Amino acid sequence: MKSVTIALGLSLAAAALSAGAARAGATDSDDERAGRWSEIRKEIFGDRAITPSDTAVTIDAPVRALDASLVPIGLQMADKEQVKAISFIIDDNPTPYAAHVTFGPAADPGELKLRVRVNNYTNVHAVVETKDGRFFESTKFVKASGGCSAPMGMSDEEAMKGMGDMRMKFAESQPGKPVEATLMIRHPNFSGMQMNQVTRDYTPARYIQTIDVHRGDTLVFHMDGDISIATNPVINFALLPAGSGPIKVRASDNQQGSWEQTFTIPAASH
Amino acid sequence: MIRAAQVAALLVLAVLLGAAGPATSPVGVPEPEGLYTGPQHGYTPATLKGAEAVDLAGLERLVAAPAKPVLLDVAVADRKPEGLPPGRPWLPSHRSIPGSVWMPNAGATPLTPAQEETFLRRVAELTGGDKGRPVVTFCHPDCWGSWNAGKRLVLAGYAAVHWFPLGTEGWQDAHETAVIKPDPAWTAASVPRGDAQR
Repeated sequence: MKSVTIALGLSLAAAALSAGAARAGATDSDDERAGRWSEIRKEIFGDRAITPSDTAVTIDAPVRALDASLVPIGLQMADKEQVKAISFIIDDNPTPYAAHVTFGPAADPGELKLRVRVNNYTNVHAVVETKDGRFFESTKFVKASGGCSAPMGMSDEEAMKGMGDMRMKFAESQPGKPVEATLMIRHPNFSGMQMNQVTRDYTPARYIQTIDVHRGDTLVFHMDGDISIATNPVINFALLPAGSGPIKVRASDNQQGSWEQTFTIPAASH
Repeated sequence: MIRAAQVAALLVLAVLLGAAGPATSPVGVPEPEGLYTGPQHGYTPATLKGAEAVDLAGLERLVAAPAKPVLLDVAVADRKPEGLPPGRPWLPSHRSIPGSVWMPNAGATPLTPAQEETFLRRVAELTGGDKGRPVVTFCHPDCWGSWNAGKRLVLAGYAAVHWFPLGTEGWQDAHETAVIKPDPAWTAASVPRGDAQR
């Protein structure tokens, strides 16, 4: 009954948020948000030059998220041959650095999708690092609130059932075209900011820290995650058509949890 | 996934119950006699005796009036998670209604006598000792903290207490927010342990 009340409250809060006027125009607040970003940028990238770009990376995100603890993010990289890595940052989250993904030789880094928690109305930033060591950024404003502390509506034990189980779905592919894949990992990804609704204690942070995906022995991508990644991480990525061998996924969390699973890519349809 | 399904199912239930929003609970929560001592996150009453519950339009009118209200944010500060690896950037920023004074968790129950004294002393300072000056308390939607803070002020004899149950979320939907720091005098008195508010 407890979780019922909470879920109901959340849904009502979300419904209330969906009403109302548009955001006001450029103000002091924009300067403040820019200041916040330079603080974070310095923390993560030091003094490296980062060039704003509308094409190097574009962010696909809902302007207003339906669920702040499950906000879908799509990152498109136009000049994909040049992409070495991408960082995703949620400026106003208390741990802003949500994910860093390094692509390997087996990846097609044209697009990456993930689902994140958003704590407050915020700018999000994507920063692409190219193979020749340049950095490009793009930004977007996302309206969502309370995602980092939203309770899961079930006990911690229940939330941890089957932890580390993985599934992978492959989109139907054509010969010579990139293979799109979706990796799903069962894991509560506790943020450490969520309260256990029964004991009224905070559940310690337990989240996926690294994910390594290989095709055969060749790296597809390596991801460093954070508490800002949503419960049951889902990552969409693509593989180059060339290559052989099964897909091997290894994931580990910050409490010594470690899991491995192997998947076979179905043959391309002709 | 399960949670999404629950929320969806409960949305239907909410519609069946005729719920209108976070400020009006579907179950008609009655006002407690005194301060509310249960969990801070949950349905709140539609009213606060001795004070006025205001919606966004009501708050906009108050803020625009010549007699500026004292805005009291009693939201709990983001709690640094246990189990974060060292070196991970922890950069909490608290957004609120511009011009607000933030006394984290000042709506907690109980407060120690020292905390209670600090809270009332700070409000006295902020209102210039004028108990007729408008004061607005707020935190988040479905959060008892701001209700309790308003109740404390009513009990202390403040005559123009306003409670804004929609909280910062209700404000930021139409207006800009500002990053603010906790009130130093309040934090010096030791902030009560945080209970989840949203």
